[in-house]
Amino acid sequence: MRRPRWESLTGRQPALFALILLVLSIAINLIVQPNMFARETLNSNMRVFLPLILLAVGQAIVILGGGIDISVGAIASIVNTVLATRVGLDGSPQEMWTYVFLSLLIGLLAGAINGFFIAYLRLQPIITTYATSFLYAGFALYILPNPGGGIPATIAQLYRSSTPLNLPLAFFIILIVLLIWLYLRATRYGRFLYAVGGRPQAAYETAVPVTWVQFSMYVISGLMAALSGIAITMLSGSGNADIGGPMTLNSITAVVIGGNALSGGIGGVAGPIMGAITLGVLQNIISFADIDTWWETFVRATIIVVALAAPGIVNLFRRRQS
Amino acid sequence: MAESLSARNIVKRYGGVVALSDGNLDVHAREVVALIGANGSGKSTMSKVINGVVVLDGGQLLLDGQPIRFTSPQVAKNAGISTVFQELSLIPQMTVAENIWLTREPLNAFGVVDRKAIKTRTEELLALFEGTYKTALHPDSPIASLPPDERQIIEILKAMSFDPWLIILDEATASLDSRQVQRLFDLVAKWKEQGKAIVFVSHRMEEIFRIADKYTVLRNGRTVGAGSIKDINEQQLIKLMIEKESALGFLRGEAKTEEKIEKEVSLEVENLTSGTLRGVSLQVHKGELVGIGGLQGQGQRHLLHSLFGDIPYSGTVRLFHKDVRFKHPHEAMKAGVALVPGDRAKEGLLYIRSILDNMLLPSWRRYGMPLKVSNARKDAEQTGSSLNLKMAGLDAPVSSLSGGNAQKVVIGKWLMRNPQVLLLDDPTKGVDVGSKAEFYSLLTRLSEEGKTILFYSSDDEELIGLCDRVLVMHDGMIRTELSGNTLTKENLIAASLGAGERLGGDA
Repeated sequence: MRRPRWESLTGRQPALFALILLVLSIAINLIVQPNMFARETLNSNMRVFLPLILLAVGQAIVILGGGIDISVGAIASIVNTVLATRVGLDGSPQEMWTYVFLSLLIGLLAGAINGFFIAYLRLQPIITTYATSFLYAGFALYILPNPGGGIPATIAQLYRSSTPLNLPLAFFIILIVLLIWLYLRATRYGRFLYAVGGRPQAAYETAVPVTWVQFSMYVISGLMAALSGIAITMLSGSGNADIGGPMTLNSITAVVIGGNALSGGIGGVAGPIMGAITLGVLQNIISFADIDTWWETFVRATIIVVALAAPGIVNLFRRRQS
Repeated sequence: MAESLSARNIVKRYGGVVALSDGNLDVHAREVVALIGANGSGKSTMSKVINGVVVLDGGQLLLDGQPIRFTSPQVAKNAGISTVFQELSLIPQMTVAENIWLTREPLNAFGVVDRKAIKTRTEELLALFEGTYKTALHPDSPIASLPPDERQIIEILKAMSFDPWLIILDEATASLDSRQVQRLFDLVAKWKEQGKAIVFVSHRMEEIFRIADKYTVLRNGRTVGAGSIKDINEQQLIKLMIEKESALGFLRGEAKTEEKIEKEVSLEVENLTSGTLRGVSLQVHKGELVGIGGLQGQGQRHLLHSLFGDIPYSGTVRLFHKDVRFKHPHEAMKAGVALVPGDRAKEGLLYIRSILDNMLLPSWRRYGMPLKVSNARKDAEQTGSSLNLKMAGLDAPVSSLSGGNAQKVVIGKWLMRNPQVLLLDDPTKGVDVGSKAEFYSLLTRLSEEGKTILFYSSDDEELIGLCDRVLVMHDGMIRTELSGNTLTKENLIAASLGAGERLGGDA
């Protein structure tokens, strides 16, 4: 029996589906927004997409390793509220950078808590991070009960309108993240990550430090969530304890569209980045085409269902034929 | 390089099940030790103790006479111990080269995996089995795309890739063809010359006598014999593997004296074929208790599940002279067939639900709409007491029961439907001796009542003690049928190990 061409292609290139979807959505976006690639428009789009991209990268690594992190949005919320309340609208740039550093530590700590429960106490990832997400969201609300606060306008401006080499700042950040990932993937750690996600028992028997790898991927995810929180804060210039929550499901959607198997061990980070951009472009299309916003949820939901069900549907057809 | 490894009085328990109670093993450099034993005698557990995959509950490991503790596979690996796992330790999503060098990848100055070096070294290793591959095997082939024999070879190459001093081969030849086995044995000879030690776990007598220098026999978690292979023959080895005094002895007479098996054929199978089964034909009479034996994983489970409509198959199945083709267990249930599955926790029970819920799961339909729970409760209580089920109450969760009592619930839930054909998949695994005895009398009673029983067991004693006939399966086929005088432990083990034709014929 010959394997269908499409299946063998996506088997080797899991991100192919994401690439096709991205090109398609950009094409549609160009129709409703012809000046999409103008410098200003491109920059304003990319700076909006970046927080989700960063979140999706962390989520992609956890899912590659066979886990899932439901608390990423809440971690981003904590960082957002900390920056908005501690720095303030009239804070100095120096204070800002101190708290950015502190934010990264918060992300690492929150990820380490997740990792400790999951890797060392062997609790279920989905339940554990769902529980800690309430812990973190609650903490964010404690810091900033009502939306408000802010960061110095100069810093926000730096994020919003920097365009080195006439390209949006977000491009460079994505490039750096991708380079780090490509390096990581080429190291022994990368191999361990794929092995642990693929078949943890076999990895354990091969003397891969399974527990440590599982712990570390949640720490990485926490760090990426903190970076995402920093980006959100610079984008919005203010604080809101509820800002990260809805982004969690989007980050998982981006990873699924990106071609990573939810069961772990297959995929990468480039696919999820494309997935995250696709989700942003979809939102763009919907707001420009003057369609009711509920369509956005509907389209997004359709994509995730199709992406999840596609392998099953292909199998069903194959069984019918044989 | 180390000179010797000794395991002394090893104890290992899994939950309440004792896998090893007194395991002893000595391995020295430049020799091959065959680790032999019947199903469930503790061979795999023994190898997992030596390679650090499981942590022992008692006893001691000595490396060159010095006590050593293996708390994880890493520690054992650092001591130069390597394993070819029976279930293979390969990651299906990763490539051949990535799997072989996992955790030992050559790195360049930046900590990046040196893919070129990996590729050349993998090609060198692959060359060892050159000419025996059926696919175009190369270092970048994903494991998932390889046939079983090539996966097995990769597992062997992976185990030898870090030049260990002790290699454990756990059923490493099971999926290899004769040429590949020969290559492996050539390698083993070379390893011996290099001063390595080899532990060879196998069921194949012929291979054991071909390459082993020493033997160690395990029985029921105990080492019952060890010595030089020159001083023993096949018959003596098989005798060592067999329990001398059997708790079943008394039952044997009981089951065998009744000669009143009805002549009516109730279940007839012709040329049953599926992914695993290769043309199975059999007949079972009404009131007959037929055993299925053989090594584990020879298709016994597939046969039972196919008959229960759980696995698609081709071939003919006749039940009480009517052709049937069950597409779903539900159809089999309606036709009076019941399956007691092998994995109690996963297939047989809803572990956290109550005994009542579990018992009634196949029968709720009978109790109307809305459910007449008090009637149901009465029936469940009756079944429970007829099985002598020891429980705190019907509402206690199944998870609160011991292995034996939980298994009674699995059987009880089917007995409540009064099935005519009972398929049993290793029902006494992990069950205490007292409950086992109760099962045996229950099965005898059911067959006397005229039920048709097909009974797979990994415990050879049971098959001989209980069954009227035993069908020995090997590689998806029925190899030998043993009954009456030929139904002896020696014949059963010999047939399982593949010596069937010879011994089966002298009946």
